[in-house]
Amino acid sequence: MPKTNYVAFILNAHLPYVRHLEYPRFLEEDWLYEAISETYLPMIRMLNRIADDQLPVRLVISVSPTLATMLGDEPLQERFLAYLEKHIELGQKEVQRTASEQREYAEMAQEYLNRYQSDLEDFEACGHNILESFRRLEERGVVQLITTAATHAYLPLYQEFPAAINAQIELGIKSHLENFGRISRGFWLPECGYFPGLERYLRAKGVQWFQCSSQSMLLSPDRVDAGNLRPVRCPNGVVAFPRDYELTSLVWSNTEGYPCDPHYREFYRDIGYDLPMDYIRDYIDASGQRIFTGYKYCAITGKTNEKVPYVPSIARDLVRVHASNFLYNVQDKARRTSKLIGEKPFFTLAFDCELFGHWWYEGIDWLEQVLRQSCGNDCTTEMTTPSNFLETKPNLQTARPAFSSWGVGGFSSTWLDGSNQWIYRHVFEAIKRMSELAERFPDQTSLKRRFLNQAAREVLLAMASDWPFIMYSKSDATYARKRFEGHLENFNVVYSNMCKNAVNTEWLVKAERKDLIFKDVDYNIFRS
Amino acid sequence: MVLINLGALSDSELRYIAQQEGFGDWEDADREDLIERLQEKYEDEDNPVPETKGAGTTRRYLTSLTDFGMEASSSDELPGVEKLPEDYNSTSIHLLIRDPQWAYVYWSVAPATREVLDDKNGCGLFLRVRLQQEGSEIPVDFDIEVGLNDSEWNINLNDSSGVYSILLCYRQADGTIQQLATSGSVAMYRPYWADHYAEIGAEADLFNIYFSSLVTRSGEPVDNQIIRNIARIFTEGENNAEN
Repeated sequence: MPKTNYVAFILNAHLPYVRHLEYPRFLEEDWLYEAISETYLPMIRMLNRIADDQLPVRLVISVSPTLATMLGDEPLQERFLAYLEKHIELGQKEVQRTASEQREYAEMAQEYLNRYQSDLEDFEACGHNILESFRRLEERGVVQLITTAATHAYLPLYQEFPAAINAQIELGIKSHLENFGRISRGFWLPECGYFPGLERYLRAKGVQWFQCSSQSMLLSPDRVDAGNLRPVRCPNGVVAFPRDYELTSLVWSNTEGYPCDPHYREFYRDIGYDLPMDYIRDYIDASGQRIFTGYKYCAITGKTNEKVPYVPSIARDLVRVHASNFLYNVQDKARRTSKLIGEKPFFTLAFDCELFGHWWYEGIDWLEQVLRQSCGNDCTTEMTTPSNFLETKPNLQTARPAFSSWGVGGFSSTWLDGSNQWIYRHVFEAIKRMSELAERFPDQTSLKRRFLNQAAREVLLAMASDWPFIMYSKSDATYARKRFEGHLENFNVVYSNMCKNAVNTEWLVKAERKDLIFKDVDYNIFRS
Repeated sequence: MVLINLGALSDSELRYIAQQEGFGDWEDADREDLIERLQEKYEDEDNPVPETKGAGTTRRYLTSLTDFGMEASSSDELPGVEKLPEDYNSTSIHLLIRDPQWAYVYWSVAPATREVLDDKNGCGLFLRVRLQQEGSEIPVDFDIEVGLNDSEWNINLNDSSGVYSILLCYRQADGTIQQLATSGSVAMYRPYWADHYAEIGAEADLFNIYFSSLVTRSGEPVDNQIIRNIARIFTEGENNAEN
């Protein structure tokens, strides 16, 4: 059948920069290891299967500069290997234990063990650097890689500081070029955060398109004829792709999305909490803090303590049903709306990459099914990317998107509320001072240059949207606060020293060793 | 801090969280009691556990069910580092837009200026909210009295479009006004449809074009007050037409 509508999956692979080699093991580094093991490696395996079968589909993955830096960091790679080995050891114990004590969980114990072993093999095969695997996927044509802001800063709140916005975008583009050897033509707006005028910064760096929130078209100051059903061209030519909330919520909703199906795996039920301390002690935090181990055997079941065992075969069948249902809904919507707009609708679906596999255990299988089923003769949906779509030179309306985000309430309140608004007093002052240093001490060389470059790194790391988000969501607020304050306290070391025309070399050497990110950063980007 | 659906947790998980939260009877209390008390505890917080990203809710950055609360350790502190100051000894004011209805403003007053204001008991300090609307040469101002010990304020913007800025001002005894600092300006645009409800209400196709991408399968609109207002007005219009 002819393709009558487009779907673009845009997945945001991002984690904040967390690297604490000063500790033998650091709990928050597990964010990275869990994401590699449960999302990135399984996603790469799945996309390679798609490429092997030469299916005509393509999706977008945004790899944030902070994540890319961590993926390429050798000590973190070594620590991930240790993480895998520990999980394989636990898996071997679990296969034995469940075989004798909880046979209803034995199949899953073996499945997890197999996955960790596959992770190990794949990780070895790519030389411990999965950026290389992403690069190959792009070469194979199944993925378009794009970048985002350097530390994933939520940009609408930094409007007062054009130099800081420019630094976030410029370093994001530069980091992508270094990691993947290409200019990123798309740009993931962190948290879908857009403000009028942001496209000016993007265009100056060669960006052709960005994704934005669902409400950015309805709230536009212009009459957008096709609503969210087609992208719009901003007055300066950069194209905005608004997220389709209806189709997104089929997956994303916590009340009616596919991942809520009671037969799917329950994320929160983990042997790290359920098994006796004597058994699990070696696999949780050294302090005795119980944590997730990744070994989870229950189905969601419902809001009850009596969770039923997870049955992989039932989940596999459901994945196929849910993939078909998703494509049915896409095509049904296309049928309904194409008549209204007189063109082929384009549906933009933007998700956090870690939803798939990590949170929604079956998510990667579901995505594979969607991609495969879309290639069926009876499917009218084309899985494409914004860049491929723009190559067809589509007729697009010129309009201005509205200030918006995908956060609570659709604007900035997630990153600016009672829990986190205090941070802006400090980070704004640091940006102002960083610009002042860049103006007062332009084009320094040697030690002073390194000192100022480290100051720029500290300011950028403090700007990450993750810290206010974590404070807001209260998931790990102590750590977020400590990180935020730490970066700005470090920045102040540079500021106070430079005001005395001095360099604290001991601090500099240690700070550079601590934050191995943006190695070629040039503090002059903070000049206005 | 627990973030997740308490009802989904096992008894042992609930007991673990209760222990972390300092419940003395965490070992003996029954499941329903624990859930109820934990929910109450979190509802009492300044900011109740929020939903994120509208109806979607995967919560990032969990390695555990409670805030690990990493203890401060000297091993990761660098030489010469000092705690962040509470203030920066300068006079300035900053405007951040939270949403079309609300802005957050913070300011500071330099010690020397503060001394002068102290002599007058701090009376007369105020924020002047300035809105420069398109097509108008004269800005619309409104003032908010603040105290010398205040340093932040949430300002209702009333959903008006134009260019906003905030002036930190001081009114002297003789009535003259001294401007201490001015924030950066932020432009806010009025949605086209805010002034064309009737148009979208009268044309079902237009309504469907927009709202087909803004509601879930069960008809729940995206988390946004303005969109809810438009949907409500449209629905009321339809009901009125039927009546």
